[in-house]
This record gives sequence, structure tokens and C-alpha cells, in this order.
Amino acid sequence: MSRLSAAVPVEEYLAESHVLFYLGDAVNQLLEHKEEYTQFGLIRYFAEYFSSVKNSNHVLFREFNYIRATPHNKASFIRVFWRCFRQIGKSGELLSVQDYRSLLQLLCPDFSMEVVQSAARIVLMDDATDCLMSFSDFIYAFQLQFYYQEFLESVLVIYQDLLAGKSPNTVFVPTSALVEQLPSVVVEENDKEEPQRDGVEACLLADCVDALCDRFKHSHPSRACVREILDQTDKVSYYSFLMSLAKHEAINQSIGALPSRAELFFDPEMDQELDKLIAQISVSPGSNSSGSAVGGLKEVQRRASPRRNIHHRRKMEVESDGSTEETDSSEN
Amino acid sequence: MADKEKRRSAAIPSGMSAGKAIKPDSDVEFLSQAGVGDLLRGALLKMVEARSDDPIGFLADHFCNLASVTDSSPAGCGEDEQMNGAGACAQEQQHLNRALWHLRLAHHSQRSAFSNNVRVAYDLLNVSGCQRQAAEVPDGPDGSCSDDPIGAGEAGGGGVRGGLYTQTLQCLCSEGGVPASTSAPLLRRLHCQDHEVVPYDVFRHGVLTCAVFSDYIRQSQKLYAEVCCPHEGPATRALCLAVLGTLKEALETSAGCEPDCCINANNKAYACVESNVKAIRYLEASAKISPNQLAQAMDGARSRGPGGNMDAKEFENAAADLFITRVKVVF
Repeated sequence: MSRLSAAVPVEEYLAESHVLFYLGDAVNQLLEHKEEYTQFGLIRYFAEYFSSVKNSNHVLFREFNYIRATPHNKASFIRVFWRCFRQIGKSGELLSVQDYRSLLQLLCPDFSMEVVQSAARIVLMDDATDCLMSFSDFIYAFQLQFYYQEFLESVLVIYQDLLAGKSPNTVFVPTSALVEQLPSVVVEENDKEEPQRDGVEACLLADCVDALCDRFKHSHPSRACVREILDQTDKVSYYSFLMSLAKHEAINQSIGALPSRAELFFDPEMDQELDKLIAQISVSPGSNSSGSAVGGLKEVQRRASPRRNIHHRRKMEVESDGSTEETDSSEN
Repeated sequence: MADKEKRRSAAIPSGMSAGKAIKPDSDVEFLSQAGVGDLLRGALLKMVEARSDDPIGFLADHFCNLASVTDSSPAGCGEDEQMNGAGACAQEQQHLNRALWHLRLAHHSQRSAFSNNVRVAYDLLNVSGCQRQAAEVPDGPDGSCSDDPIGAGEAGGGGVRGGLYTQTLQCLCSEGGVPASTSAPLLRRLHCQDHEVVPYDVFRHGVLTCAVFSDYIRQSQKLYAEVCCPHEGPATRALCLAVLGTLKEALETSAGCEPDCCINANNKAYACVESNVKAIRYLEASAKISPNQLAQAMDGARSRGPGGNMDAKEFENAAADLFITRVKVVF
């Protein structure tokens, strides 16, 4: 509890903590399931809701829009994904984009394919996106893509502008020196090797990204890390830049969802806990009438919001009697 | 499975999936009937008041705390249930814990928030001490944000019992990091007999004094740490006496107001300014204990003070003594 923070205006304090978002969601959930929660006890319901937000298990089986609504939700989801499917990585199995997407949809039925594909492009450097990927490669790329999605989209626009020889199409104008440099650099490059499309001046990109950070308040990787990465090379392509960001340990730490790469599969304590979770989840698809699945889920549900149970069941129906095509159509 | 079917069929008639446009009226009605607005407003006000660094965690604790209150209240406030032995004792402990939880929410420098919380704590302990009056005490979730925090409670004629009051003060001091031996003289001064009924004003005064005292002791511990060089054992007596003397002078200067000026790390009197006179006094006091003055006093003491050393405990006790002698006894 810090006394100094009293200096921050109330609105700012509320906005930074996303408290109003969670309150709104809690009330919406309540309205959708009035009967249940009234029996449950309203105060108890709010207590459970906020405890689950605090403990990061509030994102289980929630809709995509909820999962990506706040940085805390994003980080929580990344962590849940890691916790649930770490075993796959441990076994060293390589999976395709479709596989990863299916795993994600087990946790979030309407998880966006676009995010998964973008993450795969980072891993595979935009080459053949039908290749197989290791779990650890994927999860860090996925983390970067999912957590900083809006920021990365803007970086891509800048990158493409730089590549095309335009000055970045944004409000922040680089210093005049840069503008002068810009066209010549690209022309030179185009002259040299037309087919090789990767590469803009790393320092140019660094300046532009730095300016971009100003607009993104907190939701961007630290400037120091960006600088560090871009200082290492003269030329950089969008995806190699992203790959470096994904692999950067300081960025990983600041998101705070995943352990370092070396410890990704090392957590004996959690192995046990995980076995339970996986048991609960793996029972679900296909076994519609299984009473034990519902029983097992009760435990998850008690810690998270009761709503998730229903959500999960609804999802199970879609999955269980439908082929992949059907899941696809449900998304469109 | 049957359960699921039932749920689904129940959902459709109530228009849950059919379309949201039909139900706003009933939603608003539901929310107002269930008192959700009040519940959330109360929680938000508490949160903004306390400015916790972890607002979500704060809300989780807040609602858990409320839930435990409502869960236990049917048993606690039952008319038939006589206060008998262990049950009553456990319940009293529960109320005490809850009261302390409220008192911890805001620092005493956030005076209005703190006063509100003191009021809530007082009411909680009041219920505990005198169960028959439970009905008169706001037990709703937002009893905490009563508009009139002071002076509303005396009407009931009850009050917190002296024993509970003393216990509360003890807990506050120990939670504030003050050793029992240091706080004992203060507690003796604020002490009420176990059978006495403590009115709100006395309660507030006691709680505030203990909160300020805890801050003060922490600061004086820091002060000692500044005076002594950690590698050379305890500080010399002369230096300590000089510092204490300066502290005393500063406190005397600020006297006349409540003893709730605490010294911050920069040795300036920190105070909430309530009137110009007080403000001037505080300024004088802070000038008295400015680094400059302190350095002069210490320099003088170095050459002609008494020999020997003073350990941290002795310094702390002496500082505590300066404070305690200035505590008003309110009855």
C-alpha cells in the first residue's frame, strides 16, 4: 500500500488497474447466470471472481475477446497455456500450426487463428508456415505475438513503409536527417539485390520503433531491449527482429508469464498439479456423458468462476460431435 | 448430461441467448434488488480510498472479508445464542481481526479514509462486545462508507469494552513493528479498565495515537541507525543525548497540537496542517530538527558530552518516552 500513489488522480488509478473492466465483466457474468449465482451468494460470487482474477485462472475457457482485453488477462492466458501443455513440449514432439491452434482452442474455444499463424511466422521466419515447430519455439513466439499484438502490427506497417522507401506513415516524423537518408538507402538496396526482400537499416527501424513506443504507453517491449537487438545488426528483417524479441529473456521476464527457456520444462512440483489438470481436460472431448468429467471440472471451477464450467461444456459439444471443418465453420 | 439439458432449457425461456434487447429492464431491477450497485460502490470507494498497489487483490480480499462477515453473521447475531465460552471467544477474536483489517486499510495520514475505517472498526467491536445491539449497527456491505463517520454511534448507548480496546491497541502496535516493551508504557497511559465502556472519541484517539506512535518509533529507529556507525558498535551516549535533546525541543515546539506529528526520514516534522498557528509551530519544529541544527548539536556534544555508549533499545525507549509524556489522556 503506497501512500504516495494518492497523488494519482482517481480516473487514472482506475484506468491503469483495469478495475472497471473487471467489474463490468463480473456484473455481465452475474446477469447471464442470475439464478445460479444468487443461490451461490452475491458477495461470495464477487469474492470468487476477483480471487480468480488475482490468481490468474480467470481466463480458463473464456472467450477470446475477454482473454485479450487486458495485459493481465493476456499474461494469465499465456501462463495457463504453458501449464496445460508443457508436457507436449517435454516429450519433444513437433507440432503444426493447426495442432497448436487446436490446443489453444481447448482453452479458449474461439481463439483467433490469425494470432496462431502470426506466431508461427515468427518461428518459421515467414517461410513455410506448414512446417512443424517445437513447443518452446512456439510458446515464446506466441507470447510475443499475443501480448504485444497491436504494437507488432504497427511495427509491421513501419517496416513495410521503410522497405518501400516511404517515410513511415505516422504522426511521428523522424529527424530531417533520417528523412533524407531514407530514400537513398532503400534505392541502394533495391539496386543491389532485388529479390532479397528482407532488410531495412536497423538503426532506422530502431528510431521509428522508439517513437512508436511513445504512443503505446506501457504495452510495448522495453526500449532498451529493442535498442539492444537492433544495435547488433546493420540490416534487419521484420521476422528476424521479432524472433530476437521473442527470444529476449528480459522481455520474457517483464511479461512475467513464462519461466526462462532453460526452465521451461523444469518444475517437478507443477508436474503433479498439471497431471491433475490435464486429466480433467483430456477427459472432456468425446466423452459427452461422462459424469467424471463434470466432477473433475468442479475443482477447477471452484477456483475459477463457476461460469467456466458451462462454457466448457458448451465447447465440448462443439468439439465432440464435430469434425475439424465444423469447428472452422463455427468460427466464421 | 441431464443437468446440462435442464440448464439449457431453463436458459432459453429467460431470453438469455435469444437476444439481449429484451432484458435490460429486468436486469436493472435484478441488480438494484440484489443491491449489487451498493455492494460495488462500497468496494470501489474503499479501494480508491486505500489506493492499494494491487487493486484486484484488494477487491478479492475485500469481498472475501465481506463474505466471511455475512457467512458468520447468522450464527453470530442469533438472538437465542448466549455468549457461552469458546464460541463467544472465537467470535470476538474474529471481530477483532476484522476490525484490525479495516484499520490497516489506510495510512493515518489519509485522515478521512482512516477515520472512516476507525468508525467501521469501532462498530464491529461494539457488536462483538454487546450482541443485543447488533441490530443497530450497520451490517451491510457498505456500512463502511457512512456519510457521518463521527458522532453517529453514541446514540446506541453501548460501546467497545475496555478489554477489547486495549487488545486492539496492542495488536496495532505490534503490527506496526513496535516491540512490546516499548509500547507498554504508552498502552498503560491509554489503558481502560476491562469493564469500562469506551466511547468512540476515546477509541479514535487511542487508535490514532498508536498508529502515529508506530510510525514515530520506526523513524526513531532509523534516526539511531543514522547516528551509530554499524561497524563500531553502539553509538556514543553524547551523540544520542544530543539527538534526543533536539527531538525533544522540536516536540515541545509543536506541542499544543495533537502529538501526531511524526518525524520523517529527513528529520522534518511531517504534519497535516489544520490551522495557520499549527502550521507555524510545525515549521518551527521542523527547523529545530533540521539536519543543520542536528549537526550543530551533535558537534557540540562530541566535545563536551558524557562518555560511554547508548544502545538501540535505550535510545528507542528514550524517544518513546518523549512521545508518551506528550500523549493526552482523553476521558
